[in-house]
Amino acid sequence: MDIKDLNELRGEFEQLQKREMQASLSDRSCATDEESREDYPDFMIAMYKEIMPPAKSGIYFSRWDLKAMAAEMNESFALDIRERMFKNYMQWVATPDDMQLVMTQFKKHIDTKCDIYKEYSEKYPSSKEIFDKKIKKAESTKKYLDKVFIEFFT
Amino acid sequence: MQDDLKNEQLARVNIYALISRILMNEVDEKLLKLILKDENILSFFPEFQKWDKRKKMSNKDLIEKELNVDFTNLFLLHLIPYESFYIREDQQMETGGDNPVQMLYNDFDFRVELDEARVMSADHIGVELEFMYKLCEAEYKALEDGEETIAAEIAEMQYNFLKNHLVEWAPMYLLNVKSEAGTAFYFDAADLAIEFILSDFEYLTELKNSEFSYKAKTGDNNGY
Repeated sequence: MDIKDLNELRGEFEQLQKREMQASLSDRSCATDEESREDYPDFMIAMYKEIMPPAKSGIYFSRWDLKAMAAEMNESFALDIRERMFKNYMQWVATPDDMQLVMTQFKKHIDTKCDIYKEYSEKYPSSKEIFDKKIKKAESTKKYLDKVFIEFFT
Repeated sequence: MQDDLKNEQLARVNIYALISRILMNEVDEKLLKLILKDENILSFFPEFQKWDKRKKMSNKDLIEKELNVDFTNLFLLHLIPYESFYIREDQQMETGGDNPVQMLYNDFDFRVELDEARVMSADHIGVELEFMYKLCEAEYKALEDGEETIAAEIAEMQYNFLKNHLVEWAPMYLLNVKSEAGTAFYFDAADLAIEFILSDFEYLTELKNSEFSYKAKTGDNNGY
């Protein structure tokens, strides 16, 4: 191996280190989002405290949204106080498969709202920064749902 | 004041007045007649224009059997039209004097008669829009009086209020009003409110980027 090969090898190694460092930094920024969430004794409290508040998830889940999400699973709940409706919905969850169905509904609802946020961001670029923050919260919320599943259902 | 600017400012004043009124209280016959009579206003309600029930029912029946029922569902029963619910992590409404929006109103001497407005707190969407209406009206008057510096300060307040408050939370609420509306009227009203708030924020951002220079925005170098 001559000096030129050695220098090329060193250059590649430095590039690799740089890429790994950047990847680790970006992983850490995502993890910080997840880790900033508190620990809860059960999944129902975890979801109510972390997913239902618009300030945390960037998404408003109304009473009718909960009813519509349940209807997608052929379930029906009476319109009631929002928190009570949420509890009724969660009490339906008995197995990991049920939880997967519920998570799918939440993620679908989140995606629908984020698509609308993106449309508004494109149409009104000055609002993009505000909508982007909501989309970021929503994406973090979807990851949190997976975490809840792993923590309480596996 | 240049005609284009005058018309633009007047339109902003009128639209804020209209949407704050619609989102604050039930529609009455006077308001419905005003909307139906004025082609410009009616053009903001394209689905309502085509709505069968509007054509078949008397105004009184339309209000009592359709619009007021829908208003109750969307503003009093099932959805939450208060900013604090959307910005607080505990999902609670702040009805007391510690409400940051109330504190802001106090700074501007903007008094909210909660009983009269029939709202629980000053951060109700209708009240926040009325605050914008008052600011736009004050800006318009300042421009008419040739007080461009004062007008620019008021426009900056509007920009900050939209950025920190209405644009931050109102679309989340209004999107649900749109999707849950049981009448074409409130579907259109929610759509109008979202589109207007966001487009007005575009306008104010543009004005801010020109350092609140009305001349730069209108391309008028001759003053007012």
